[in-house]
Amino acid sequence: MIILAGTTNSIAQPNVNGEIMADFEPKILAFLCNWCAYAGADLAGVSRLQYPSNIRTVRVMCSGRVDPVFIVRALKEGCDGVLVSG
Amino acid sequence: MTQQLLDLAGIGRRRLHLAWVSSAEAQRFVDIVCETVETLKVLGPLEHRRFAMALEACEMTVAGESIRWLVGKQVGIIAKGDVYGRTWDPERYLSVLNNELEKAYQENMICLAVKAGCTSVRAISRTIGVDLMRVSYLMADLERTGRIEFKGMEDRKPVFAAL
Repeated sequence: MIILAGTTNSIAQPNVNGEIMADFEPKILAFLCNWCAYAGADLAGVSRLQYPSNIRTVRVMCSGRVDPVFIVRALKEGCDGVLVSG
Repeated sequence: MTQQLLDLAGIGRRRLHLAWVSSAEAQRFVDIVCETVETLKVLGPLEHRRFAMALEACEMTVAGESIRWLVGKQVGIIAKGDVYGRTWDPERYLSVLNNELEKAYQENMICLAVKAGCTSVRAISRTIGVDLMRVSYLMADLERTGRIEFKGMEDRKPVFAAL
């Protein structure tokens, strides 16, 4: 049912207007599983790996806790995208 | 299912990313975040004002009983069959789910359009971008379940109100 979206060569494609908006900083809400992705994010921090600061994280005890309502509400409340990672 | 719904709403499934990362894979996490940010930079900002009604309808749909029931029972029914002992193959179940998703979304859009002041079938159809036949078919359903009400005729056109 779940398709892993945007994992291949999504970077070089222009948007609808045919231009890549270089100065646009998207607001992304990330739901991270406490045991997997959140620990991964923690490790990334500890090992001083650089990653964009566009994501705002919400730690959940399991990615199964993430309800579709949360995702839709995130978009409704002003986020440009949502990342669910477990 | 949620990605399917975002496609229906015209927002696009690419605004929702799903990825599995283990706790030991810091580099993979960084790659996924970078990729997500890049994709969204290409997509550009989400026009919240334009999609306000669609997002509201999406929220009503994912919070709705029929969809939650179908998603909740999906694994069990595919694995063990339904209460009547019928077996379901995953594709057939998915097509039922997708049809219901589309129907629920369009019904919620109709309700929101009526609430926003559209009273005729024609105005509703124009507002939500669904053809007339489909709108009147869904409205018969909405009337039966008590979500909208037939108010009477005006210029030989039926007028509706939200309940």
